[in-house]
Amino acid sequence: MDWHQLWQIISTPDNVPIVAILFLIPFYTWYGLRQALANDRLIAELEADPQKAKTHHRKTQPWKPGWEKEVHVWPYLMRMEFLVALIVTVILMVWSITLNAPLEEPANPNLTMNPAKAPWYFLGLQEMLVYFDPWIAGVVMPTLIIIGLMAIPYVDANPLGNGYYTFKQRRIAILSFGFGFIVLWISMIIIGTFIRGPGWMWFWPGQTWDHNRLVFEVNRDLHEALGLPITSMWAKSIFGGLVVGLFYLGAGYAVHKLMTINEFTRRILRRMSLVQYVTIQFFFITMLSLPAKMVLRLVFRIKYVWVTPWFNV
Amino acid sequence: MPPQPNHDPITGRSMSGPILLVTILLVLSTFWALYDEFFGTRPWKAYQARFASKYSRLLQEKLGEQKKAEEDVRNSTAFQRIEQQTREAEEAVAPQVSEIDREVRDLDRRITVLRDAFQIARGEVTALIYQVEVASSERAKEKFRAQVEQVRQRLVEVELPVPDGTTENRSYIYDELESEYDRLKERKAELIAQRVRLLESANQLRAQRDTYLKDNLVGLSPLALEGILRRTKEAPIKIRQIHVKEADLVERCESCHLGTREPLLITAADMGGERVFASHPNGELLALHDPERFGCSPCHNGNGRATASVVKGHGRHKYWLWPLYHPENVEAGCQQCHVSDFVLDHAETLNRGKELFRLRGCIGCHRYEGFDNQNEVLVSVQKQLQQLADRRKDSEIEAERSIQAGDRAETNQEAQRLYQHAENLRVRASNLDAQTDQLQRRSGNLLREIKQVGPSLKEIRVKLQPGWIPVWLTDPHEWRPTTKMPRFRLQDDEVQAISAFLWQNAIQARLPRQPRGNAVRGKELFETRGCTACHSMGEGENQVGGTFAANLSRVGEKVNYDYLVRWIHNPRERTRPYCPFEKRDLTPADYAKHGLPFEFDLDHATCPNDGHQLQVQQMTVMPSLRLTWQDTRDIATYLITQRRQGANDYAAADFLEDNSLFETGKSLVRHYGCAGCHEIAGFEQEGRIGTELTLEGSKPIERLDFALLTHEAEREGWYNHKGFFEHKLADPAVYDQGKVRKPEERLRMPKPNLAPDDIDALTTFLLGSVNPTVPEQFRYNPDDRRKDIQEGWWVVTKYNCMGCHQIRIGKPSVLMTLPRYQDPDWREQLPPNLIGAGARLNPDWLAQFLANPALSESNLNRNGVRTYLQARMPTFNFSPGEIRKLVRFFQALSSQPLPYVPPKIEPLSDQERTLARQLFTHPAAPCLRCHATGDAVHDRTANAPNFLTAPERLKPDWTRRWLLDPARISPGTAMPSGLFRQEGERWVFAGPLPPTFRNYSGDHANLLVRYMLQITPAEQRLLLSRMARASSPSTVGLAANLLKSH
Repeated sequence: MDWHQLWQIISTPDNVPIVAILFLIPFYTWYGLRQALANDRLIAELEADPQKAKTHHRKTQPWKPGWEKEVHVWPYLMRMEFLVALIVTVILMVWSITLNAPLEEPANPNLTMNPAKAPWYFLGLQEMLVYFDPWIAGVVMPTLIIIGLMAIPYVDANPLGNGYYTFKQRRIAILSFGFGFIVLWISMIIIGTFIRGPGWMWFWPGQTWDHNRLVFEVNRDLHEALGLPITSMWAKSIFGGLVVGLFYLGAGYAVHKLMTINEFTRRILRRMSLVQYVTIQFFFITMLSLPAKMVLRLVFRIKYVWVTPWFNV
Repeated sequence: MPPQPNHDPITGRSMSGPILLVTILLVLSTFWALYDEFFGTRPWKAYQARFASKYSRLLQEKLGEQKKAEEDVRNSTAFQRIEQQTREAEEAVAPQVSEIDREVRDLDRRITVLRDAFQIARGEVTALIYQVEVASSERAKEKFRAQVEQVRQRLVEVELPVPDGTTENRSYIYDELESEYDRLKERKAELIAQRVRLLESANQLRAQRDTYLKDNLVGLSPLALEGILRRTKEAPIKIRQIHVKEADLVERCESCHLGTREPLLITAADMGGERVFASHPNGELLALHDPERFGCSPCHNGNGRATASVVKGHGRHKYWLWPLYHPENVEAGCQQCHVSDFVLDHAETLNRGKELFRLRGCIGCHRYEGFDNQNEVLVSVQKQLQQLADRRKDSEIEAERSIQAGDRAETNQEAQRLYQHAENLRVRASNLDAQTDQLQRRSGNLLREIKQVGPSLKEIRVKLQPGWIPVWLTDPHEWRPTTKMPRFRLQDDEVQAISAFLWQNAIQARLPRQPRGNAVRGKELFETRGCTACHSMGEGENQVGGTFAANLSRVGEKVNYDYLVRWIHNPRERTRPYCPFEKRDLTPADYAKHGLPFEFDLDHATCPNDGHQLQVQQMTVMPSLRLTWQDTRDIATYLITQRRQGANDYAAADFLEDNSLFETGKSLVRHYGCAGCHEIAGFEQEGRIGTELTLEGSKPIERLDFALLTHEAEREGWYNHKGFFEHKLADPAVYDQGKVRKPEERLRMPKPNLAPDDIDALTTFLLGSVNPTVPEQFRYNPDDRRKDIQEGWWVVTKYNCMGCHQIRIGKPSVLMTLPRYQDPDWREQLPPNLIGAGARLNPDWLAQFLANPALSESNLNRNGVRTYLQARMPTFNFSPGEIRKLVRFFQALSSQPLPYVPPKIEPLSDQERTLARQLFTHPAAPCLRCHATGDAVHDRTANAPNFLTAPERLKPDWTRRWLLDPARISPGTAMPSGLFRQEGERWVFAGPLPPTFRNYSGDHANLLVRYMLQITPAEQRLLLSRMARASSPSTVGLAANLLKSH
């Protein structure tokens, strides 16, 4: 265990936000969920007792005699925000005093740094380059991410959950966001920071980042791994297309199962148009293809599934 | 669900506590930010405050001392006398001066008043004149002119002060005002001039007094110290920055290193042990490299802009590519600009590094721009020669064809044209011949200049004891700790293969049998002929002699006597000449084929097969001492007795004749790059096997392969260039540690036997070998005399001239340091000191002498000039280019212009000749008693050069300076000083003068110089015969007495 190496990664001024993420993301996830679950309990309580629902209440807690009927923004919200602003200012000031901008040596076009890492917020994109063609990982995927995010308001057929924390009413939305953001995006940033060393090799935490390290890994395309006697480009394209098509079918079936898992989701599904349904299916399956490819690559050493003269997947 | 509180959780809670706490934190962090802004990131402020207080205290102390010293000077009678005179002179004119002063004061008051009035009036006038100039119509101009006139005629009222303190009212028109103002100013100037005249003598006396004070006071005067003190105390705390625009340099080093350029020398001890405040340790160097022009970091490295911390300023962190040099490597900074200097003042470590790089044979494997590259040039010359030959052949063929075409041509005109073309081609071919000749000569010179670090291995069969070879290859340092040969990491089978290859690859020849000589005489000759300037004898503590060449303590164990004799007699003698064109050694058969005798030397150096220049010398720098065969055998006999064990005590090496090892050995020799230092048949044109090191210091650290030591180096803090070089030099195999590699893939660099100082020196050299970051004009590439000095050093050090001669002031020659030459009798036997040789010697003569130091074609067993010296000026067989460089070097060192035009020397009149003879043979200083004459009997006691060489050899100006004070030019010389004394403008002989001199008003030294530089053999014989007649023992004592009295 090379504690020195670990300390070096953690203590680099560059990595402060990422180390913070390690603690902040779980904390706020927990905090948000706690509130959501509390609300859910309240909703259940109020729904069970229509009389109670009619009394004044402040959303998180049922109203009690002796309490104010309403709470004003000023000063009750503002003072909270002011306090938070003060705390953030103090943190930023102390941070800027203690850690200087991490300048390095002058750039040398003849000598690139190793490992050469993107800014921390792009490490997820960089990590995707391991699993896909640059064209797919660098152009298609980011574009799909942006379009997918833009599409959310238009495909969201669930009218509940506006303006308050709730889990029960937006289970699928929260789970898919959690999957896409925390599991995929954030974990890839953490992999990119802590795991990827010189040569973009996989180093477990505490392993020394050795520039001279040699590893033996043979990555093969899927048809080679399966030992299929496919040689022609056409055959490869068709085979890969079939496999990907099968994946889309299989995953589409799974997603559909998820969307019809209970009465609530079925009701939501009924509210959707076909376009909305297809859009959701497409982005969901595409999102699932990333972890699928990661597993294929990291565990089964599969380089590409679909090999064509124009692109590889 | 948690129980609901009774109080409203939002409105029922006060936030004052948390807000107060956070506000306090915010205020605290604001103060922290302010502190950080003003002091935290500006540590130099504290340095400046500390410096001011410490330096002021030091200055106060010095001021006290200097005041006391000044007081002492002031109290001295001489000072008092001048002081008294000054005071008297001042008092004598005091009334007049005060009268003038009074009048000037009055004038000043009036002038002030007038000036104000005049300037106002003039302002108005000039403004109106401007209006006249720019007015658009003639009428307008006229109007303004009238206004001008009006203003000029207006009366100006002034209140002029009068001497008694009151004022008087006066009024002037403009012109009167101007003339009155000018008149008063003139009067004032006149009075001031008068005052200066009155005080002239007093001022002179005062200046004299101040000069006296300055001359008698050591160090800075109290006044200067007070100035510095005031400046120090009042100095604002601010960034001290040097900005050199043309180099884009911003240096803030002096923001902390405040004492660097202080006029008062500050040591760390003065400042309470704070080295940061000490003055630059080498003021002379700093004066040459003014920081205002050169900055700091071009020499020292570091980050001149950074002021936030010591680490950042010194650049000693991972991301600064030019970290401050460590003290032991500080001279690395010189190399960047002084890359062409082999010997540099103030940079002994760097000099040593360069010397080691060449001497230890690093250059054999590693190319370095500017270092000996004759081999590369030779290859390119050979290529050019080949191209010329091809072009010439093409021209001939073309010409032939052209003529044939002309013969067949249909018109006369066409035939004429073709014939003309053929003619032109032939002329061109003849031009090519001229070029070829030049290139051939060039290649001949290059062949003379190519020297190798190690001996030729072509001759080991005739030179060495076979059993010794594997012993040596296994570990040369074991056998001879001081050797240049590095230790290769060879397995036994590799040693055997290499030995066998070299043995079988060597020339087989039979040398003439040599009889033994006298070892006792040989020892004496070895120690006195000059061998010890390069070679040493004795091991460890007992080692005596130079380190330029091998230690010969055990030489008797390895060499054959016959070969040793030939080597000592002329080390350059080869068994076979080498033809670089055919790339092989020529045999007698090659000569016989062309009916030529098998004879080759510098005069017979063309190949019988193809006319190319041959290598006819061994490529050693060892010169020929022109010894007789008898002397040679004596020395060889002495050397052959130098052994610890018998030659036969080495294990028999039968494998040397094993043919099966030949190919393995050959590939090993190629693999290890043996041919970098040694001449080996078949490997003459082999390239260098190592990395080029010209820019090694600026190689990115990632390109230096620390291999498995990377992490260790990072942890231990030597993951930098310095660490890489030091570890590599101490143990070249270090980066193989822990690696699993096949033998042929392991690092090949052999281990040189380097002392820690040597490693520092080489590291310094390599650290300095960088891609220059300073602009071109900073680099030292002179094109005048100084370039001759640069080039000369490369030759001087190549042949180790400093072994025998002193060339740099303060750097004694090797011989001067040897025990034998500490004896006063032997000190006279030291070869001449060459400081100032350029002023002494006629360059044409020097060139001749360097080519043939015997100055004779027939009598070679002698020194050409100093026949009395036992040490022998050897024949180096310099190339003409090297001779030119040496001559220019010595001329340039003494600031002599080239070409040298000898001044015309006035012929002597008969009377002058008689007088000169009298001086020359004066019993108080009979020149010929010490100076050689060519007469064998006389010369046995002579210890100075023959005058007959003087006319060609010496420059008259130097000769005169020498006569007047030889001890000043060459301390410890046997030539007596004080022969002449100054009498007015001229120098006269110091001894009793014969009566004939009474009417001679000329300069005696000049007379003697003219006589000496026109002396003829006949004249010298005449003097000798006279001297022989007059000679008696008493004259010697008389001379000594006479000279003592002066």
